[in-house]
Amino acid sequence: MNFRGARWLVVITGLGLTGALLRWLSAPLLLHRPAADRPDVRAETFAGAMGQGIALGIFGGFRPLVADFLWLQVQDRWEARDLGGTLGHLRLTTAVDPQPLAFWLNGARIIAYDMTEWRLAGLTRGDAMSESVGKRIEAEQARMALAWLREAERFHPGTPVLQIERANVQLNRLHDVAAAAASYRSAAELTDAPYYAARLHAELLRRLGRKAEAYAWLRKIHPKLPPNDAAAAAGLVLARLRGLEADLAIPPRQRYRAD
Amino acid sequence: MTAVPFSLRRVWLIACVTALEAARQRVFHLVLVLAMGLVLGAHAFREFNFGASELKFMADFGFGALTVFGSVLTIVATAQLFFGELEHRTALTLLAKPVWRAEFILGKIGGVMAVVTVFCALVTLLLLGTLYFRQQTLLAEHPELSESARALDPMAIIAVGVAHWLKFGVLAALTLLIASFARTSLYAVIVGFVMLLICHLHPLARLASARTDSWLLRGVAGMVSLIFPDFQLFDLSASIDSVGAAGAASLIRLVAYAGLYFSVLGSLAVYSFNRREL
Amino acid sequence: MNGVAAIEARGLTKDFSFGLRGVNIRAVDQLSLRIEVGQIFGLLGPNGSGKSTTIKMALGLLESTQGSCRIFGVPSCEVRARCQVGYLPESPHFHRFLSGRELVAFYGRLCGLRGEELRRRVDEVIAGVGLEAAAGRRVGTYSRGMLQRIGVAQAIVHDPRLVILDEPMAGIDPVGVAEITALIQQLKARGKTIVLVAHELTQVEALCDRIAILDRGRLVVERDLGAEFTALEVSQLSAEHVAELQAWLEARGGVLTTRRVVRSRLEEFFSPRIPATRETPSP
Ligand SMILES: Nc1ncnc2c1ncn2[C@@H]1O[C@H](COP(=O)(O)OP(=O)(O)OP(=O)(O)O)[C@@H](O)[C@H]1O
Ligand SMILES: [Mg+2]
Repeated sequence: MNFRGARWLVVITGLGLTGALLRWLSAPLLLHRPAADRPDVRAETFAGAMGQGIALGIFGGFRPLVADFLWLQVQDRWEARDLGGTLGHLRLTTAVDPQPLAFWLNGARIIAYDMTEWRLAGLTRGDAMSESVGKRIEAEQARMALAWLREAERFHPGTPVLQIERANVQLNRLHDVAAAAASYRSAAELTDAPYYAARLHAELLRRLGRKAEAYAWLRKIHPKLPPNDAAAAAGLVLARLRGLEADLAIPPRQRYRAD
Repeated sequence: MTAVPFSLRRVWLIACVTALEAARQRVFHLVLVLAMGLVLGAHAFREFNFGASELKFMADFGFGALTVFGSVLTIVATAQLFFGELEHRTALTLLAKPVWRAEFILGKIGGVMAVVTVFCALVTLLLLGTLYFRQQTLLAEHPELSESARALDPMAIIAVGVAHWLKFGVLAALTLLIASFARTSLYAVIVGFVMLLICHLHPLARLASARTDSWLLRGVAGMVSLIFPDFQLFDLSASIDSVGAAGAASLIRLVAYAGLYFSVLGSLAVYSFNRREL
Repeated sequence: MNGVAAIEARGLTKDFSFGLRGVNIRAVDQLSLRIEVGQIFGLLGPNGSGKSTTIKMALGLLESTQGSCRIFGVPSCEVRARCQVGYLPESPHFHRFLSGRELVAFYGRLCGLRGEELRRRVDEVIAGVGLEAAAGRRVGTYSRGMLQRIGVAQAIVHDPRLVILDEPMAGIDPVGVAEITALIQQLKARGKTIVLVAHELTQVEALCDRIAILDRGRLVVERDLGAEFTALEVSQLSAEHVAELQAWLEARGGVLTTRRVVRSRLEEFFSPRIPATRETPSP
C-alpha cells in the first residue's frame, strides 16, 4: 500500500483505539450528562426539541443558552397563565439542560402553587367553589409537583433544597405533616443542609404529638450548632428543648446540659 | 556530525514565532473584540428583568460567545498558521535547518494554544468581572434577594472557562491533523468545522444506535462515537449553583480526557506530516 | 578525488503524481552527482528541468522516489544532515511580521546559536548582504531583492560548510549582484562549498568551478570550468584570414569554436544615416 492509504489507515485506527480506551474515562462523565444526551432518559422530549430547531443550538455547544431561551418562553407562558404551554416548556427546558437547580425549583413552585390557582380561577362560579373540587385540584397539582421533584432528584441526588421543596409541598398542599416531617429530616441529614430543615423537622414532630422523638432529635443536633451563627439559631433550639423538657416532665438531672 | 536530539527549545522558538504571527493578525483582534463586546453586551439582559436568574443568563450568554468565537479562532488560526508556512514556503527554510518535523508541529500547536489561552482567559475574566459587578448592584438594589442570586461561584465560572479551553485544545490538535492531510487551508477550515459539528453529535449517535434496527445506521453511529472525541462532555453548564466536589472530580476526568486526546491527535499529526512533501 | 563529498546523489529520481488517476511527472531522472568540498558548483538547466527538486531532495524536504542522497556522508532524510547546510529557496518568503534582524536571529537560534555569538553573527551576515539600514523593519515591507538578501543572510547565519543558493541573484540590482558575488567568493575563500542555481550564464561563468546541466530531469553535462581555455579576441579579420587561422589552429590541435560578426553599436550604425531634419526649416 502506498503512504497515502497507509496514513488514513493509521489515523483511523489510532483514533478508534483511543476512543475505545477512553471509554472508561468518558463513561462516568456521561452519567452526569443532561437528559437530552441520554437515550435511556426521555428520548421523546429530545425528539420534540429537535423538531423545534433547538438541536442545532445544542449540537453547536450552546445548551445552556438554548435552555435559557426556553426558560424565557416558560415565563412568557406563565404570564399568560397558559397551563399546557407552561408545563410543556418547563419539560423542554429541563430536558435540554437539567443542571440548573433554579429550573427545577421554580418549576415545582409553578406546578404546585400557580397552576392550582389558575385552575381554581378557571372554574365556573356556582358549583365549582365546592370544597371537594378545590381540594382535588390542589392534591392533583401537588402530586404532579412531587413527581417533578423526583425527576429532579435523578439529576441532583442528595440535594437538600430539592428535599426541602418536597417537604414544603407535602406540608402546604397535601397537608401531610408526617411525610413533610420525614422529608425535612432527610434534608437535614445531608451535608450542606440549611439549619432550619432540622428545626422544622422537630417542629412538625411536636405538632404531630411525637414530643419525645422531637426532644431526642433536638438533643442530638444542638451540640453541633455553631453558637455565633444567627442562621443556626442555637438559642432558639435550646429554648425549644427547655419547653419540651417541661412538657415531657424530664427530671432535672436528666435534662440537657449545654456547655 | 553528531546526532541532533529532539529539542524543546526549538519547539519553544517556533511556538513563539507562531504566537507572534497570530497575535499580529487582524482576525485575532476582531474575534477578541467581538467576543468581549458580546460579554459586555450581556448586560442588556437587565431589561428582561429575570430577577434571580439574571446572572445565569449573563453567564450563559458570555460562554455562548466564548464557544462561537473560540471555535472560529481555533480552527481558523490553526489552519492559517500551518498553511501560512506551507503556502508562503517559510516551512522550506525552516525545515532546511536542523529541525525535526515533530518540533515544527508541536511548535505550531503550541503557538496556537498560546493565543487560544489568552483568548479564553481574557473572555472568562471579563465575564467574571461583569458578573461580579452586576451581582453587587443587584444586591445593593435588593438586599433581600434570594440565595440563588447571591451564589455566584467564581470557581464554577473559571471551571467552565477551563472546560472550553480544554475543548479548544483538542479542536486545535484535530484541525492540525486535518491540515497535515489537506492541500489548502480553505479545505482544512471547512473540514475542521464539519468535524466540530460531528464531535458534538455523540448524543445523537447514541440515540440512533439505541433506537434503530438498521444495521447501516448503527454502524455509522458506532463509528462516530468510536472515532471522534465527544465535545458534549466539555459542555459544563455554567449553572452557578451546581459545582461541588463532584464537579471537581469531573473536571479532573475532563482534563485527562482532553490531555489524552490532545496527545494522540498531536502524535497522529506528526506522523502524517513527517512524510509530507513540501 | 577521495574523501567525503559535500553532496553525493546516486540514481536520484523523483516522480510527482497528480489527481485521482495518478498522472506522473518525472521531475528528476536517475541523477548521479558528486559535489566536492570547497567547490562552487553551478546547477544549470532550463525552467522545469528539476534543479529545485534535486535540491529539495538533497535537503530531505522531498522524499525521493528512487535513489539516495547524502550530505557530508549523512543520508538526507536525517535531521543531522542539515546541521552544516544553509539553504536559500527560490523566490523565498519569510515570516512577514518579524523584522529582518529578528528573522535572522530566529533562524540562528534554531541552529543552536545563542548569546553574544548569535548577536555577532547576525550583525555580520546582515552587513554582509548590505541590509543594515532595513534590518529593523518588518520583512513584510521588504522588496523582492531585499527578501532575497535577507534569505542569503539566514542561509549563512550559522556559518555552514555547505551553502545551497537557489537563484540568489533573481530580482537583485546590479550592485547587489556584485555584492552577492563577492560574498560567495568570500565564502569559498573560507573553504565553504557552494551550490549555485542560476540562469544568468555570465554570473555562473564568473563564479563556478564546476557545472552540471540538467534537462528534463536528466544530467546532460557535467564539467569543470577552468582557466585552461583562453579566449582570444581578435577583431576585423577578413574571411581568408579566418580560414588561414583555422588551418593554423587545427595543425596544433586547437579548435575554432565561435566566429562572430561584430557590428558596430546601434547608435554608431544609425546616427550617420539619420537626416538632420530638425535643422531644416519647413518651407
Ligand atoms: N510540488 C510539485 N508537484 C508537482 N510537480 C512538481 C512539483 N514541484 C515541481 N514539479 C514539477 O517538476 C518539474 C521540475 O521542477 P523544478 O521546480 O525542479 O524545476 P527547476 O529546474 O527548478 O525550474 P526553474 O528554473 O523554473 O526554477 C517541473 O515539471 C514541475 O512542474
Ligand atoms: Mg527552480
